[in-house]
Amino acid sequence: MGQSLVDFLKGYAIKSYVMKPGRVVVEVEASRIRDVIVKLAEALGRDSFYLSTIEGTDFPERKLIRIDYFLNVFKHNAYLVLRAYLPREKPVIPSVIDLVPGALAGELETYDLLGVVFEGNPYLRRSFFVPVEVASRGVYPLRKDSGV
Amino acid sequence: MFRVVEATHIIEIPIGPQHPALHEPLLLKLHADGERVVKVDVITGYNHRGVERLAEKNSFYRDIFIAGRVCGICNTVHADCYVRALEYMLDVDPPPRAKYLRVLAMELERIHSHMIILAVNAELAGFDTLFMYLMKDREYVMRAKEILTGQRVLADYMMVGGVRRDIDEVKRSRILDLVRRVEERVRYYHEVFREDVTINKRFRDAGRIKHVDALAHSLVGPVARGSGVRTDVRAQDRYDAYNEVPFNVVTEDYGDSYARVMVRLGELHESISMVKYILTHLPQGNPVPDERKLPRRFPEGESYAVAEAPRGELTYYVCSSGGDKPYRVKIRTPSFNNIVNSAFAYVDQMIADVPIILGSFDPCISCMERAVVTDLRRGDKYQVPLKKLAVGGVRM
Amino acid sequence: MKPALVKEVIKGIFGKPVTIQYPKEQTPIEPDFRGRHYADLKKCVGCSLCAIECPANAITMVKIPEEYIVPRTNAKRLYPVINYFRCVFCYRCVAVCPTSAYLATNEYRLASSNPIDSSQLSLSTTAKAGDV
Repeated sequence: MGQSLVDFLKGYAIKSYVMKPGRVVVEVEASRIRDVIVKLAEALGRDSFYLSTIEGTDFPERKLIRIDYFLNVFKHNAYLVLRAYLPREKPVIPSVIDLVPGALAGELETYDLLGVVFEGNPYLRRSFFVPVEVASRGVYPLRKDSGV
Repeated sequence: MFRVVEATHIIEIPIGPQHPALHEPLLLKLHADGERVVKVDVITGYNHRGVERLAEKNSFYRDIFIAGRVCGICNTVHADCYVRALEYMLDVDPPPRAKYLRVLAMELERIHSHMIILAVNAELAGFDTLFMYLMKDREYVMRAKEILTGQRVLADYMMVGGVRRDIDEVKRSRILDLVRRVEERVRYYHEVFREDVTINKRFRDAGRIKHVDALAHSLVGPVARGSGVRTDVRAQDRYDAYNEVPFNVVTEDYGDSYARVMVRLGELHESISMVKYILTHLPQGNPVPDERKLPRRFPEGESYAVAEAPRGELTYYVCSSGGDKPYRVKIRTPSFNNIVNSAFAYVDQMIADVPIILGSFDPCISCMERAVVTDLRRGDKYQVPLKKLAVGGVRM
Repeated sequence: MKPALVKEVIKGIFGKPVTIQYPKEQTPIEPDFRGRHYADLKKCVGCSLCAIECPANAITMVKIPEEYIVPRTNAKRLYPVINYFRCVFCYRCVAVCPTSAYLATNEYRLASSNPIDSSQLSLSTTAKAGDV
């Protein structure tokens, strides 16, 4: 299952490997994330997977911010991870909220806590979770240099 | 002669954060036209505790206890998911008896959590007597948890490589006896929920969610299973001892609050039969690892562990860069998806149905928010035009 | 469909209440409930592992007063004092101690208006120099 997915996404995948304990990770370009999701929906069928988690990590020494999209393909008992790297100075990635409305919660949280801008998501705002005193200083708490 | 002209006038009604209808600090701003809800703003942020940032500042083993305190009702599942993420990174496999005991603790947790949410649902419908009777029978389950783990609520039972206590023959037969008593009572309450006239009138057709909507909005757990989505992480991932203990995945098709309540009652029966199977088929061996011999530093790597909490799919992502503190811990709790993404389910319902629908989603706000807010003044106003999100399905 | 629970309620009116009338009757509690715990100074070596590992930072290492006798293995003459108001009773200290020096009880009645800690209990496990 994992190998056939990787072959299927050959046009988009920069590289692929396996995360313990057996989840397939596919690295893609940040700007093509929407095409990848459309292609997956065509191939697997719209009712065989859902977007489980959106997660962001800050790597200050590599000057990158990494975004992971975890997809639960429950019809085939597998998990697929789409990984994209963004430059730390200007972390911008197209939003997938009109394709998958369930991305709302994850995108709001990643914007509020890390400062990643999801283009095309009209509901982004600060202080959705973070307290007002921290947000008004312009600080993103999960960045390594935030001092929180 | 006078002519009466009706003009629609939309009024804004806040429910929460301090409100007798909700047990949780959550603000639902309803925009209502007469009795019908037109749009809903879900406003959170009253109880954020900073757990993910805190986890980066403490060692891996202290984080086991911090992860167990994210939520009080599902604390064994949080600790188990985090411990399994650590075990995947270290390539450690716990002994079979430890796996069975872990599943025993998690299924007892599922029984008591479902009994609480059924009691709260009954209370929100006005049926306080049923709330009291369910809580009385939940005390048997709390005593079983006390016999197994040492405390009634916060179990602190999981450790890398196994569990922290073993059970002997006397304890095993006491827990079996308590569970048999609970089983009779749960059968009676299933009858009550099926036959009672108040519950049927209030729960049927409240907050109907279609199959396609549940998938597109990433709803998980009994909320998705009540709409016909056949997903259960225990059957999919088969972690711990779930590949040996037999159980069924319970689904209903209609998708309203009554279907979600029926899914939870079905899961109660399944959990009770699982607990009885585990107690009669425990393998031999020593499930307790020696905590003094566990490695202090972890190798570089990452892992992703999933678990089925009583409310849905819980995921932990742990990344280590070598060293004794984790680099990143990401916790995605089921209530996060269920509450924030589900604002479309309230549209076109009566105001009086809103607490019933919220109760049937099983909100656990302490699971959902993980950073601290100390004041209740809202910084900025925020409108979510839910009509846009409420049109179901995915447009490609 | 009919209103349920009517029979149960009528039975309940004439039965005994389920509430435990504390403090006139005590709550039934397990013997291995995780309650108040303290260090046994006859076995403690003063290594401070429990203070390092505590998730709540509830343990501080304090110098033993001069008149108490402790084994020679406790060269630095330190012993752990647990602040019960900060403790979460996870028993990590009990599990991690290299000499198994912690004594566990199931005492749960720990509400008090003055801060309580384990110093008196720990010091009572050893004798003073000059006692017969």
